[in-house]
Amino acid sequence: MALRGTYERYLNRFGWFCVAPSVLFFGVFLAYPILSSLYYVTRRWKGATNTFIGLGNFVRMAHDSIFLQALGHNFIFMAIQVPIMIFLALLLAVLLNQGIRSFRGAMRLAIFLPSVTSLVVVSVLFRALLQENGLFNNLMIGSHLISAPIGWLNNSFWAKVTIMLAITWRWTGYNMVFFLVGLQSLDSQIFEAAEVDGASRARQFFSITVPLLVPIILFSAVTSTSGTMQLIEEPNILTFQGGPANGTMTAALYIYRQAFFVNFDFGYSTAMSYVVVLIAGILAFIQIRLLGGERATR
Amino acid sequence: MTNSAFRAWSPARILMWLVLLVCAAMSIFPFYWILNGTTLNPNDVLKGVLAPGRDFLNNWKLATTAYNLPLYFTNSLVIALGTVIFGVGINALAAFGFEKYRSRARDRVFGLLLLTLILPQIAIVIPMFKMFSFFKLLNTRLAIALPSVMSVFIIFFLRQNFKLFPTEIMEAARVDGASELSIFANIVAPSMRASFASAAIYMFIAQWNSYLWPLIAALNDAVKTLPIAMASIMYAYTIQYGALMVVVAISTLPVLILFLTMQKQFVAGLLGSVK
Repeated sequence: MALRGTYERYLNRFGWFCVAPSVLFFGVFLAYPILSSLYYVTRRWKGATNTFIGLGNFVRMAHDSIFLQALGHNFIFMAIQVPIMIFLALLLAVLLNQGIRSFRGAMRLAIFLPSVTSLVVVSVLFRALLQENGLFNNLMIGSHLISAPIGWLNNSFWAKVTIMLAITWRWTGYNMVFFLVGLQSLDSQIFEAAEVDGASRARQFFSITVPLLVPIILFSAVTSTSGTMQLIEEPNILTFQGGPANGTMTAALYIYRQAFFVNFDFGYSTAMSYVVVLIAGILAFIQIRLLGGERATR
Repeated sequence: MTNSAFRAWSPARILMWLVLLVCAAMSIFPFYWILNGTTLNPNDVLKGVLAPGRDFLNNWKLATTAYNLPLYFTNSLVIALGTVIFGVGINALAAFGFEKYRSRARDRVFGLLLLTLILPQIAIVIPMFKMFSFFKLLNTRLAIALPSVMSVFIIFFLRQNFKLFPTEIMEAARVDGASELSIFANIVAPSMRASFASAAIYMFIAQWNSYLWPLIAALNDAVKTLPIAMASIMYAYTIQYGALMVVVAISTLPVLILFLTMQKQFVAGLLGSVK
């Protein structure tokens, strides 16, 4: 589009005037950090000085068992918690939308409520509730579900469960709201027709609801996966610095601790953050291809 | 729905209600537990005593003195409000510019912005720390607020909303001799109040709850925000759980109030990302 005349030029200048402050902030607080990380990633810090080591940080990473273990934990959380949460959110949305007629608003409000808490608050909450002699264990012992208290915070296996419980509590209602909006946009005639044809509720759920909600499920899956890749509050506070014995260490927490706590090696941490970005990108791409592709073939 | 099985109290219907009630109860219970915890002595908090105690004043005093609650609350509030006021301003202006004054160059810039939308925060905080430490700005409220003033998500969200504003009205105002800036300020902006409210709520909550960057940028107590203060409390050798529950309650309250009073805008801000 060629700009003709002074008036168009004036409008164009005004357009730049509008976007200029944001673009300036973008340059300083996003573009510059991203570009300057290209410098840090090639260097190794020793105390206050740093030297060029090329791709050495990536070589070091391949032998860093804690980092690899941390990435593994991210994958465990992702593979187990994200599908459970999405299924639960979807189930609750369907029940609220089609199952009940009274108290619908109150129920929706209640289930969404955890989404107003900060992740730090969630971590504090669950750390207090899941103490060895805490409320959760007491209730379970009281109702004879378990005979001895579970070490939610100091057993490597249960600590992972604890983190997944906390994330599920915090985010299920949040995702449910997206599904509810999606469900309300569906035509109820489809379900009536299925009903006439004798399709069961379960059949309707898996054959109609889920396929029609694929775009929203995709959105939830991508944001939840990317959130799981960035887990930091929960392992740092809830299970205390990725404990017990790095049993809940995540990639983001390890990167943070390497840069600001353990040996202040900003180069190595930057390199590890590149890997996290790469993995998050690849996962988003795969999910879009998988779920998006299914939609295309229908 | 027409299925008669769901009208009577069939086993399916009972199961459905059971699932919903259990989930709703589990969602709400921790809020009750926090509120109740503010009245208990530390041991009873952990034990999970569910009846109110008598230690509220004690806990409140500890929270405001030993745990510096007023300072952290003020820090959180100043930083979040500052971010929202400047943030909604510049992001709205940018969204307006990108949407209503389209050019190929600006479309490309917008594309560049969108590319960073899913970038994990952990990837930026290290160079950002280096940058702020170079300018000796670490440990200031400004340092905590600045990086989240511009938000690609908010620009994207507001741009979607500006799309709905009819360009013909802007044309008509131009014919009447209005300047572009007054068109934005007097004609477009007033009709976008609901969208701005959604954006403001979203930005406020994001900043209020923000953890990673404030954790890195706030090294001494004077500038810490509530989440960072709570994290420090959790790291202490002895934890005054009753007082901690007061801090937790106070740091949850503003967001809770925002949600309960402005549910519509609150959810609209969330949903902005899937429109």
